[in-house]
Amino acid sequence: MSAQFLDIVTTAAIFYVVAAGLLIIFGVMKIINFAHGGFLTIGGYAALIVTQLGLDPWLALPFAALVGLVIGALVERFVVRPLYARPLDAILATWGLGIIIGQLITIGFGREVQFVQSPVQGAALVLGESYSQYRLLLVLGALLLAALLAAVLHGTRLGLMTRAVIMNESLARGLGINSGLVRFATFSLGSALASLAGALITPLSSVDPNMGVPWLVNAFMLVLVSGASLVSLGVATLVLGGAQVLISAYGSPILGSLTIVVLAAVILRIRPQGFARE
Amino acid sequence: MTAAALELDRVSSGYGEALVIREVALSLAPGEIFALLGKNGMGKSTLLKTVMGYLPLAAGAVRLFGEAVAGLPPYRLARRGVAYSPQEQALFQDLSVGDNLRLGLADSALFAAGLERVGAFFPFLPERLRQRAGTLSGGEQKMLLVARALMARPRLLLIDEISEGLQPSIVQKLAEVLRAERAASQAAILLVEQNVHFARAVADRYAVLKRGEIVDSGRLDDAGAESRIVRELSV
Repeated sequence: MSAQFLDIVTTAAIFYVVAAGLLIIFGVMKIINFAHGGFLTIGGYAALIVTQLGLDPWLALPFAALVGLVIGALVERFVVRPLYARPLDAILATWGLGIIIGQLITIGFGREVQFVQSPVQGAALVLGESYSQYRLLLVLGALLLAALLAAVLHGTRLGLMTRAVIMNESLARGLGINSGLVRFATFSLGSALASLAGALITPLSSVDPNMGVPWLVNAFMLVLVSGASLVSLGVATLVLGGAQVLISAYGSPILGSLTIVVLAAVILRIRPQGFARE
Repeated sequence: MTAAALELDRVSSGYGEALVIREVALSLAPGEIFALLGKNGMGKSTLLKTVMGYLPLAAGAVRLFGEAVAGLPPYRLARRGVAYSPQEQALFQDLSVGDNLRLGLADSALFAAGLERVGAFFPFLPERLRQRAGTLSGGEQKMLLVARALMARPRLLLIDEISEGLQPSIVQKLAEVLRAERAASQAAILLVEQNVHFARAVADRYAVLKRGEIVDSGRLDDAGAESRIVRELSV
C-alpha cells in the first residue's frame, strides 16, 4: 500500500515535470506545441552527451535546459512567430518540427536504445518501503519547479504580464505589454522545461529518438484537462497519474498505459473545462 | 506652436474591406477634453481602436504630439503615454485590484506613488487591493478602469463609454476626476460617449459621428450645442 502511494506521488511528479512546459506554452500562446516530445528527446540526448563525456550527471540538467532554451528560442523566432495569425498552421508546424527533431537525432546518434547515468543511485527507506531515491528526488524537483513557476507568475512583473496575456492579450497590448516578447520568452522557457524534463526522466528509462512520443500524448491530455492552470495540472497529474498506477497494478500495464488518455477524454466529455476552475 | 496631443487627418478605417469611419478629421490640444458622440454602431469605438493601433488605417494619418504613429502596435502607443480604456472586457476580472492597477504602469516600482494619486480620487481602492476585480460592483469596476488609466499619468486618455449603465452619482464622480486630472497633468482626453449630460459636464468640445462621418462639431458651451447634438442623436 505504501509502495503504491509512493508510486502515485512520484508518477504525478514525473508527469508534472513533463507537462509543465507544454502547459505554459498552451496558456500564453493558445497552441499545443507538438514538438514538445522532440524537446523532451533533445533533453534526453543532452543527458546522454554528458554521460558519454564522463561529466558529473547533475550537469545534464542545466545543459539540457540550456539546449532546450536556445533551440526553443530559434524555433519561436523562425517557425512559430511567422504563423501567429494562423494558429492551426502553427500547431501543424510544431508537429512537423517534432518529426524533424526525431530524424536529426537518428542521423546524429543512431536508432539504438541508450542509457544515461543517474545522478543518484540506490534506495531509501520511506513509509516502511525501500524506494528509489531518484524517484523520490523527482518529487522534490516537481515541488521546486511548481514553487519556482508560482513565484515567477505571482511574484514578478514578467509573471504579471504573462498572466495578463493569458487572460486577455488584446487588453494587455493596450497597456504597454509587448505580447510578442512574452510569447517568445514563454516558448523558450517551455522548451527549456521540456528538455529539462527529458533529462530528468532518462535515468528512469532509456534514450532513443522516439522517447518523447508517449510522453507527449500523456502530457497533451493532461494539459487539455488542466486548462492554463499550473494548480489544475498538479491536481490532474495526481488524479490521472494515480489512476494509471492503480490500473497498472490491479489491471494490466497495457491498460494502465491507456488510462490517462481514456480518463481525460471522459473527463472532458463530462466537464469540458476539466480540472480548471472555469 | 504646440503640437496637437492627437490629430486625425482624414482618417478612414474599418474591418477588412468594409470601411466603418470615413475621412474623419479632429484635433485635441494638450489639456483639452473632447467628446465624440454618437449612437451605437456609428464607428466611435472603431475610431478609438484605430487611434490605438488595433485597426489599420485605410487612409489618412494619425499624429500623436506631432509624430505620425500609424502602424505602431498598441503596446508602443501605450508606452508613448496613451492610456486606453475599452468599453468591453476592459479589466482583468480574475486579477486583483492591485494587479490591475500595476498593469497601468510600465514599472511596478512606481506603484506606491501611482496608488497614492488615484487613491485620492477613489479612496476604496487602497483598501481593496487584494480583492478580485471581477467581484467589484459595476460602478467600482468603472472607477478602477479610470484609476488604472491614470496610474501612469498619461499624456492622452482614450475612454470608451465609461458612463454607460452607471448611477448619476458615479457619473458625476468620474466627471470630477477627469477634470481634476486634466487640471493637474494637462492630459488630453478623448471621450467616446452617448451620454450628452456627462459629455457636457466634462468636455470642452464635441463632434457627432454618424455612419462613420462627423456631421456636427463645436464647443459644448455654445448656445444651441445641446439641442443640435440631441437632434443629431435622435435622427
